[in-house]
Amino acid sequence: MTSSNAVVDVHGLEKTYGKANERQYQALKGLNFQVASGEFVGIMGASGSGKTTLLNMLSTLDVPTKGDVMVNGHDVTKMRGNQLADFRAQEVGFIFQDFNLLESLTAEENIGLPLALKGTSSKIMDQAIHEVANTLSISDLLQKYPSELSGGQKQRVAAARAIVHHPSILMGDEPTGALDSTSARELLDLLTTINQEQHMSVLLVTHDPFSASFCQRILFIKDGLIGSEIRRGDQDRSAFYQQILNELGTFNE
Amino acid sequence: MLGKLALAGIKNRRRDYLVLLAGLTMSAAIFYMFANLATNKAFVKANGVVGQSMLIFGFGAVLLVLITIVYIMYANSFLLSMRQHDYGLFMMLGAKKRRIGQLVFLETLILGTVATAIGIVLGLLMSRFLVGFLLNALGLHLAHLVSFYLPAVVATAVLYVGLFIAASLFNLVKLTRTTVLKLLHADEEANQPQIKPIRQMIAGIVGLLLLAAGYWALASIKLLQIAAIPFAIVTITLGTYLLFRATLLTIIRWLRQTKWAKTHLNGFLMGQLNFRVYNYTRMLTIVSLLFAMALGAITVGSGYHRQLPLLANNFGSYTVAIHNKTAKEQQLIGKLDVATQATYTQKRQGKTVFYNAAEFKQQPYEFNEGTMTPKYEKKTAAEMKPTDLNSLDFISMAVMGQNNFYTPKMLKAAKFARQPGKTVSVTTIRVKDIEKDRPTLKKLNQIELARFPHASELTVGNYQSYELMLAFFGGLEFMGYFLGIAFLAMLASCLMFKILSGAPGDKRRYRMLYKVGVRHSLMRNGIAKEIGILFMIPGIMGVIDVLFGLQMFKPLMPKPMSPYLGIGGTFAIFIGLYAIYYLVTLALYWQIVLPQAPATADHK
Repeated sequence: MTSSNAVVDVHGLEKTYGKANERQYQALKGLNFQVASGEFVGIMGASGSGKTTLLNMLSTLDVPTKGDVMVNGHDVTKMRGNQLADFRAQEVGFIFQDFNLLESLTAEENIGLPLALKGTSSKIMDQAIHEVANTLSISDLLQKYPSELSGGQKQRVAAARAIVHHPSILMGDEPTGALDSTSARELLDLLTTINQEQHMSVLLVTHDPFSASFCQRILFIKDGLIGSEIRRGDQDRSAFYQQILNELGTFNE
Repeated sequence: MLGKLALAGIKNRRRDYLVLLAGLTMSAAIFYMFANLATNKAFVKANGVVGQSMLIFGFGAVLLVLITIVYIMYANSFLLSMRQHDYGLFMMLGAKKRRIGQLVFLETLILGTVATAIGIVLGLLMSRFLVGFLLNALGLHLAHLVSFYLPAVVATAVLYVGLFIAASLFNLVKLTRTTVLKLLHADEEANQPQIKPIRQMIAGIVGLLLLAAGYWALASIKLLQIAAIPFAIVTITLGTYLLFRATLLTIIRWLRQTKWAKTHLNGFLMGQLNFRVYNYTRMLTIVSLLFAMALGAITVGSGYHRQLPLLANNFGSYTVAIHNKTAKEQQLIGKLDVATQATYTQKRQGKTVFYNAAEFKQQPYEFNEGTMTPKYEKKTAAEMKPTDLNSLDFISMAVMGQNNFYTPKMLKAAKFARQPGKTVSVTTIRVKDIEKDRPTLKKLNQIELARFPHASELTVGNYQSYELMLAFFGGLEFMGYFLGIAFLAMLASCLMFKILSGAPGDKRRYRMLYKVGVRHSLMRNGIAKEIGILFMIPGIMGVIDVLFGLQMFKPLMPKPMSPYLGIGGTFAIFIGLYAIYYLVTLALYWQIVLPQAPATADHK
């Protein structure tokens, strides 16, 4: 089943590590799910459940053993070499737990990198950088180097880099993992704003119920399969948070 | 247990260790080859140009020791950069610092000793082949040259093992003084140097002045004598350092502001260079000096090689003079590439040799009228002046004994026929290229000397002058090539290690770029540019140093030789060798740094 407005469509996704003649480990055992355009989806699961493997498949950093992954209409499993790199550069925005900022570049240069790779003119680039810096209120940090920034500031710069080129989906891999609670909340608020105002789809991988409570829909992975799914619907965030905790309680048994 | 872990760590990084071991081995081998020549007093005495050769070799040895120290420092930092994360991990797991210290100490020392041992053996083999090859190619014979020389083995072993003990101690102190956290995250820091414009400007100007002073000293070696060299080394080193420090960063900062820096990976490239160049200033300075010395040495060496025939050609007008040529000699002459050839009849009586003017009308005698470069002019008997008759190569056609010649006299044909005396025919031959015809000329000369023995200090013809000069300048020439190759090998390895020691840190950066979606080709190009620039900076500075430094050899290369003559070819070859080092470094860097794309083969 493929709906026309799905930005991510995963079908029968399997991933087995280890060569045929070695001991093999099946991390993903046939996943099926979709993310609709403009949706804010969370993926939760304990360590070793296959969250990160899934994200690596979606972002083309790793190759599935079996199954299809469609992102914004592109079948990423069929891509090779430069296509993969270009796909990551243009279609996906990434936020990592450890920021992944280049410490030899200023915040501004870090944010501009995806545009530079596209060959955007410097005038348009400056404009885009300042726009996104305004949105994330980091305009006064642009000339600083990552080593001069706090964790929260670094992650906001990373977020700016992830969305400056308007990718079709923003993926986060435990983006609040290295942040204090205030910075974490600020970042999640920002992601919500980006999702709602720019209608950018967001896929958040986390094991933290608080982070997950900002999502509209949560998929729970267990042992390489999707175990259950809950939706926030009309509830407020704290009620949803409670629901997640309950779900986790039953899910982990 | 810890020992096992350390071994496992080394196994996992086999390739990096091989690079390190190969580099250290090469360095030890080169040092041995040099020590083999420099410590062999019999060799140096037998082949040096007067007393200066001992000094030159001594100077070379000091330089090589300095380079070796720097080299081992960089190699050691490369080793440390590979290992600190592992050691940090061991400490985090509860290993005692003392134990780690022992491990570091042993690891460095074992690696160093193994490299030294292999290096000496390799040096022995290289001495045998390279020296043989060089001597063959240059057509030299050097006395007392052996490939195994015990004092050289001892000198190499003592220096290297000593340096490695020092390096081990350094590693021990460094690792035990750094905190575990710092070790674990050592490669994640990048300091951003501050720029103070006025200070930069002053530094730049002082640097230029020092450079100018150094170049002036080299050009005025006649005035300053041997003091010019240490003076120039100090001023040029300081000058280069200050100039690099002042200008490189400013240029990079300026480039970073341009639109160019905002396309593709250029910005990243500039960012990398920005924090790298500053840390590398010292290394780039040293490398630029080494580059200059290596290139200078080879240029001077090849200069002698290229220009000796030139100088020899200037001595007289003919290459060889053959008396009463035999059939065998005629056959040999047939093999020569002859420019001009003439045969005259002599009649020798008392202290006079008589020539037939009619023969000179038929075959005018060719004089060399040039002072700087040969300028040939043919003259008949009527055109000859008394001074022409007394010119050295004319009277050399009839040698009487030690420093003694028959006095030439020109007679008309009829009078010559009536003149009594011993009749000898003399054939003068000028070849186009002495070097090319050297084997044939050698045979001719041997036959001639056997038939007409004359005083050893006498030369007849340019061929003999050439052989004489070759013996005289041969030592210098050989040393030029040898030092040049040794310096080049060392300097390029220094640069290689310094650059490679930055690779583990870069690995992370390129991994990030990979995740962000940078094409592989773009990353490859970026690395090629970055390392290319790091190689080019000392290269350009080194070439400038050499162009000025060659002034120093003007007194040693009398006219018509010039240290600048035909240096283009030598430069091209040298830069070619340097480029090979660049490509090797680049290939290694790519191997270490570029992220592997996930295997796609197993996807169905």
